[in-house]
Order: sequence, then structure tokens, then C-alpha cells
Amino acid sequence: MQSANMLLRKIVRSSVLPYAAQHGMKKDLFPLSRTLSLSLFLKQDNSCKPSEKLDLDAWKKVMKSGLQEEVSETVSEPQELSGLAAARATLEMWRLAGRLVPENVSEEQLKMFMDCPSKSAKKKYLKFLYLKELYKKNDKRKMEEKRERKLEAQEQTSKTEETRKSPFVCLWASTMDKAYSWRAAQSMIFGQPLVFDMSFEKEMSVREVANTVKQLVLSESCNRRSVDPFHIHFCNFKDDSLYHREFLKYYREAWGKLLITVTDQCYTEVFPKDKLIYLTADSPKVMQTFDHDKIYIVGSMVDKNIKTGVSLARAKRLGLETAALPLEKYLLWNTGAKNLTLDQMMHILLTLKDTADWKKALEFVPKRKFCGFVSKPVSELKKTLDLMNTLKLGKRQQEVQKEFAKNYSKK
Amino acid sequence: VQPPEKPLQPEEWDRLRENFQLPDIFEEAMLKRMIKCNSHIDVAKSLLTHVAKRNGDIAYNVLIKYLTLCVQQGQVSEIRDVYDIMKVRFKILEIGACNLLIKGLSNSDQWRMALTILEEAKKIMIPSRTSYESCIKAASRHQEMKLAFELYKEMLAKNVVPTLDVLQSFFDFSRGMKGAELQEELFGILLYLRENQLYPHKTFMRSIKLWFESIPGGNWRGHLTNIKDSGQCPVCNHQLEDSDLTEEEYNNLSERIKRDVIHGTDTFRKTSPQELEAFQTFMENRLPFDIVIDGLNVSHIKPRRMQCENLLDAINCLAKENVRLLVLGRKHMLSNSSHWKREIMNEMQNKADFFFAENISEDDPFLLYAALRSGKHCKFVTRDFLRDHKACLSDSVTRHLFRKWQRGHQIVLNPMFFCVFSQQPAFRYDCVVQTTGDTWHIPYKDVFEEKYSYEVPRKWLCIQQK
Repeated sequence: MQSANMLLRKIVRSSVLPYAAQHGMKKDLFPLSRTLSLSLFLKQDNSCKPSEKLDLDAWKKVMKSGLQEEVSETVSEPQELSGLAAARATLEMWRLAGRLVPENVSEEQLKMFMDCPSKSAKKKYLKFLYLKELYKKNDKRKMEEKRERKLEAQEQTSKTEETRKSPFVCLWASTMDKAYSWRAAQSMIFGQPLVFDMSFEKEMSVREVANTVKQLVLSESCNRRSVDPFHIHFCNFKDDSLYHREFLKYYREAWGKLLITVTDQCYTEVFPKDKLIYLTADSPKVMQTFDHDKIYIVGSMVDKNIKTGVSLARAKRLGLETAALPLEKYLLWNTGAKNLTLDQMMHILLTLKDTADWKKALEFVPKRKFCGFVSKPVSELKKTLDLMNTLKLGKRQQEVQKEFAKNYSKK
Repeated sequence: VQPPEKPLQPEEWDRLRENFQLPDIFEEAMLKRMIKCNSHIDVAKSLLTHVAKRNGDIAYNVLIKYLTLCVQQGQVSEIRDVYDIMKVRFKILEIGACNLLIKGLSNSDQWRMALTILEEAKKIMIPSRTSYESCIKAASRHQEMKLAFELYKEMLAKNVVPTLDVLQSFFDFSRGMKGAELQEELFGILLYLRENQLYPHKTFMRSIKLWFESIPGGNWRGHLTNIKDSGQCPVCNHQLEDSDLTEEEYNNLSERIKRDVIHGTDTFRKTSPQELEAFQTFMENRLPFDIVIDGLNVSHIKPRRMQCENLLDAINCLAKENVRLLVLGRKHMLSNSSHWKREIMNEMQNKADFFFAENISEDDPFLLYAALRSGKHCKFVTRDFLRDHKACLSDSVTRHLFRKWQRGHQIVLNPMFFCVFSQQPAFRYDCVVQTTGDTWHIPYKDVFEEKYSYEVPRKWLCIQQK
């Protein structure tokens, strides 16, 4: 009976058989009366003396033994790493530790990394590189998938259909380009000027300049595609400035052929002063209507750490009129700064020029920044707003008093 | 996932892993849970054994997680083993691992190893302040005060800000120890608190008190007290330092306010050169003022009342014989609107001097300039904390000066009492750690975390030698 039991048990535990054989089975581990059960719990119960079965430090041996050959190789070379190599090794370790570190780092990026003044700057830069790499990879993957799908589709169409006949030669892209260029050229003669003030290079970091140029490229393209484009002026544009170099990265040889006016002169030298209006979110004046006789100036600046009043100061210095978009008047503002990106400005101005419809124009303000459009008549809204304010202020006054009492009355 | 209670066989781990949604990160996720549940280390070991048997290697991130678990439970021999493995396995240690190892080893009798790892970490990067903290605490726990102070100084030299905890540990571990040098070092820490306008919390204060009282032959006695408004300590009758800045500090501060706050990168951002010049000539013609009032700020003090009435109340409350008032405002105040009645404005202009800035200019920089230009006796009135202007100052020394000056010269009007304004007087004494050699006065915070930087403690520790 006992031996039969043993045998059965052995069969059941055959999965751990090699182990059991290694360490020797203990007879008295199993009480005779217990029936066979295949549940996991029983098994756990049985192996309650793990140290006998399981060598808990086995992993250390594995880790150490697997290395002997490698170690003997590495020992021969000097352990001390210098500068860039050390930084690269550190990055590799961080990557292993699961931090956000890019896979491939160029020499230039490594130097940038080492030049970062603080730990958090280093971390941020690495994260930026990591995300950039990730997006690039994803784009590449998507491109490949698309190409495959296209090839498949082509195969299918070539099987099923003969070439379709059409009265036009299919030359959409280049024809459109020509049409756009024609319009842009016309706007350069008859169009309303729109000035981008390019004098903010000193106020921005390298990355901010890069972002600015990207936004300008977007605005230029949407201007070109519009029905009635602006005549774009880049004023205060210095040759070989950071702006210039960034633009060349985007446009390459097309930079010389763009249908815009680029000048190192100030807008005050190009246009009469009384026609200029500087658009800035800090302006105390609110734009009522779009004036087709005026020349609007937009500051080409991305300010990530909100530098209030920089462009307003510029307009004040030159004694120009300023204006802000009537965002408060038409939108129930939610979150975010009131300064918009340059391409959003461009969309808004183009729409205003074509339709003079504020609601349509302000559709281009990002949706996350506002809750909705103001629908009620302004006077009625103002009443409720006043009511809300008095309620709020009433509450706030109490709060202020409470705080005051807390802070100052305990002498 | 719930980590198992007992070490598992490799087969059982395999089964668990198969049931896990993302088998690739199974080990890491499992170890993370173990860290959270503080599982027994044998369980983690059995998992590692399983991984090692399957892959013949253990990934670095898994190893780090295991190390975290060991550190959490203070398993010193395991930490050492992991360190040995890492040293052979990887060319270079990464700062996260260094921090963990230091933390783990510094609490054991192997604490000297933590120091060597700290040395290694320095080669890669500036070690974190918690690493320094662990090493300093370990050194002082073993009575190696000299070493601890060396590390502390190194930390300061590298611009790593020490935690209050470290500073407290110095006082805790030096209790009852003799030595003039040690005493000097600890006085140095108190002066560090003074220079950086830091206030110890209650338990830290107690450590300081106990240390002073434990100095052999020192005869120091500490008392907890509140300082009178006059600035006199009720225990030892000592008069605290007044809040006035020295001549040099004062000039330095006025210069910096003018340069950094008013001009900044572009004078047009806050005002315009014409306006600034007009203001300066205005000031020079009518100097000196005794109180400068931020008109618009004060006029909003009671929102239900007309703004000009608020301002009038404030002026009436502050105007006493021979007190010269200056009110700063903006031009729109003159426009005879619903909130700004012309008659009241005229009445006020008889009692005080007014300067009206452009509507788009900022008035606070003018307030600061006027108050500083009028001299040390001049106070200013606003509820604003002036944080944004403090932030314009570029270095911390000047910012501290600004805070000190602000504490001593800002009057806050209290609208609590219905009709009459009462004023919160500016502090007459300076609220910092201070000493005269045979006395120390140390302000301390009652609660551990004080929320606001503008609040200064009202409670003091008075220590005197008898």
C-alpha cells in the first residue's frame, strides 16, 4: 500500500521529479491518510520547506558564473572611462534601469547632455530625445505599413481593372502648386501686408526659436493655400541669424523662391506708422473689427516661460497702436494662456479677412482652452457676470478676512 | 497581481507568468508589488532563481528592483552580494543604484562601504542630497563627527541643499560631546540657518536646546518664549536685532530694485523712460515721504464699498500730524467714474501727494522705488506680497535682503473692523537666528511644515549662558 502510494505520488509530482531526485524524497513528508489531489494549493503545502528543494541563492551563482569569460575580457582593458565614454556608459545603464533614455545618441547630443547645467535639465533633455526617437520610430513603422497596403491595393487593382479613362492628366499636386503660387504672387502686388516681427531671437532659447520657425512655416503654407492670401513680410530679419538657419533646414533651396518679403528693416521704416497695429495678448485695447486698410504685426516669438509684456514693450517703444484678440468677449475661457501659436493667428486673421465673422475665426483657438462660445447678448451676460462677481467677492472677502485673522492676529 | 506568500518553484512561477497579461514585464511588475507589500525576501529570491534558470541572466531593472526590496528591509548581506554582482557584471554604476546602495549600507555596520560608493557616485554625477544625508548620519552615528562635517561642507560646496534632518542629526549626535572645534562647527550650522533665513521646526529646536544644555561646563540654559512687539526677550531682557538694513545693504537693495525690477531687460515692459523720469523728478521735489500707499491695492480692500471711499478711509487712518503720505495710482482714477468720484479725489489730494502712472504701467515698482528712496524710516502700505518683484531679483542674497526690508517696512491694513482701519505694524525686530556670544535666540516653527514663505514664526528659543 505504502509503496503504491509512493509511486502514485511520484507520478503526480513528475514535473518536479528531477528536483526531487536531486534532493531526495522525504518519506515522512506525506501523511498516509491524505488522498491524492492535483490542486496547486496542496502542492504548495507540500513544498513548504523550500530551502531544501529550492536553492534560493542559485541566481547569484548563475550571475557570477555566466560572467567569467566576459570578465576576463574586460579586466584587461583599463576600467577608468573618460568624458564622453563615461557619459555613454551612464546612459546605457539608465536605459537598462528602465529610464526614458533614447537608444541611439549621437556625439553632438551627448555633448549637449553633458553641458546641461543640472540633473533635472539632463533628465528633461533625455526624455525629449527619447520621445523624439519614439515618434520617429512610430512614423517609420506607419509609413512601412502604408506602403505595404498600397502595394497590395495596387496589385488588386491591376488584376481587376484596366486603366480608367479621364479627360485630365493627373497632375494635381503641381497644378495646385502653380495656382497657389499665382495667388501668392498676386498678393505680393495687391495683397494686404501682414508683418512678422523677427526681433525676438534674444528672448528665446534655441528650442523656442526652432518651434517659432516651425509655426512660421505652417502659417506660410496655410496663407499660400487660402483664397486671398496676405502679403507676408518678415521684418527685422537678420541674415545668418538663428531664425535664418532654422528656415533653411525646412525650406532648403526653396527659401529663395518663397513668395514673401524678407527684410532686415523695421516695419516702421517700411510702412507708415499710423497704419500699423501690433497684435499682442498683453494689449489693453481689444480688437473690434478686422480693418482691411491696416497692417497687422505679429511677434514671431514662442515664450514657454511666459514673458509678459515683451512684445507690448516693443510696440510701446515705437509708439505703435496695439490690439488683442477679443477672446474674452466671444469665448468662455477655460484654461491656458491667451497667447496663441503663430499658425493659429494666421488662420484667425485669414478667416477674419474673408468673412469678418468672429465666431468662425475663433474656431481656430484650441478647443481645450475654452468651454464654448458666448451665446447670450452681451448685456445680459454682463448682468449675470456681475452677479457672479459680487457673490464671488463676497465669499472672497470672508476668506481674506479669515486668512488675515489667522496670519496676523496671533500676537 | 498579488505576490505569493512563500517561495515558489520555477514551474509555479512559469504558470503565474503565463497567466499574466504582459509576460515581458512580469518579473518587474511582480517585484514592484513585492516592494509595495514588503514581501519576504525569499520570495523575491525564488523569483530571481527562476529568471536566472530560464534566461541565464537577470536584467538590470529587475536586479535594481530586488535591491530596492533589500534596502527597504535592511538586508545588508544581500545588498553586498548584489553590489558584488553589479560590480563584476557592469562597467559603471548608475546613480540610482548608487543612491540605493548608499541608503542600504549606511544603516549597517558596513557603513564605510557606503562612503566608498559615495566616492564612486561623485565620478558620475553630483550625488543626491539623500545620499549625503545617509552618509553624514552614518558617520555621526559612529561618532566620526569630523568626517561628517567634511561631507557636510562638501555638500554645501556643491550647492546641494542639506535637509533640516541632516542639520538636526548633527545636534542629536553631538549631544554631550566635548570639544571647542565641534562647538564651532555647530555654531556654524546655526549661522547657516541665519544666513538662509531658515527656521527649525519644533523637534529640531528641541535637539538644539538639548545640545546646548548638554555641553559639559557650558552652563547653557534654554527657554521657550514669545518675543514682545518691542523686540525684547522676556526671559533674558535682551533686545533683539532690529530689522533695519545696514547702509551698504540698503544702497545695494535700492540699486538692485531699480536695475532688476524697474528696468529689467526692457524699461518699456513695466513703464517708459519718460514716465520714469517724470516720477524721479516728482520724487526729488517732494522728498522725503513717511508712508507710501499703493492706492489701487488699498482701494479694493472692501469690495462692497466705493473704491475711492476705501482709499479715503485708509488715508484718514494713516494721516497723523506731520506724516507725509504718497499715494501711487493710475490715471484712470482721475476720470470721475462710478468708483472714483472727483470730489473725493480732490479731498484726498489735499491730504496726500499723488502720483498717477499710465494705465498700462505697473505701479508696484514705483512703490518700491519711492519707499526706498525716501529713506529707512519710510514704510509702505499694500496687501500684495510682492512675490513677482522679489522674483525679478537675480540672486538669493538680494532676495533675502528684500524679504528682510519688506518685513520691516510693509504695513498691512486690516479691514476686519468695520469702519476703522487698523494696521498691522511692520516688525521692529529681525526674525532670524541671532547671537551675542553668550545668548542665542532662535525662532522656530510650531508645525513641521509651514505653508507660506511670508509667515515668520512667533515662537522663540532663548538660550543664555550663566
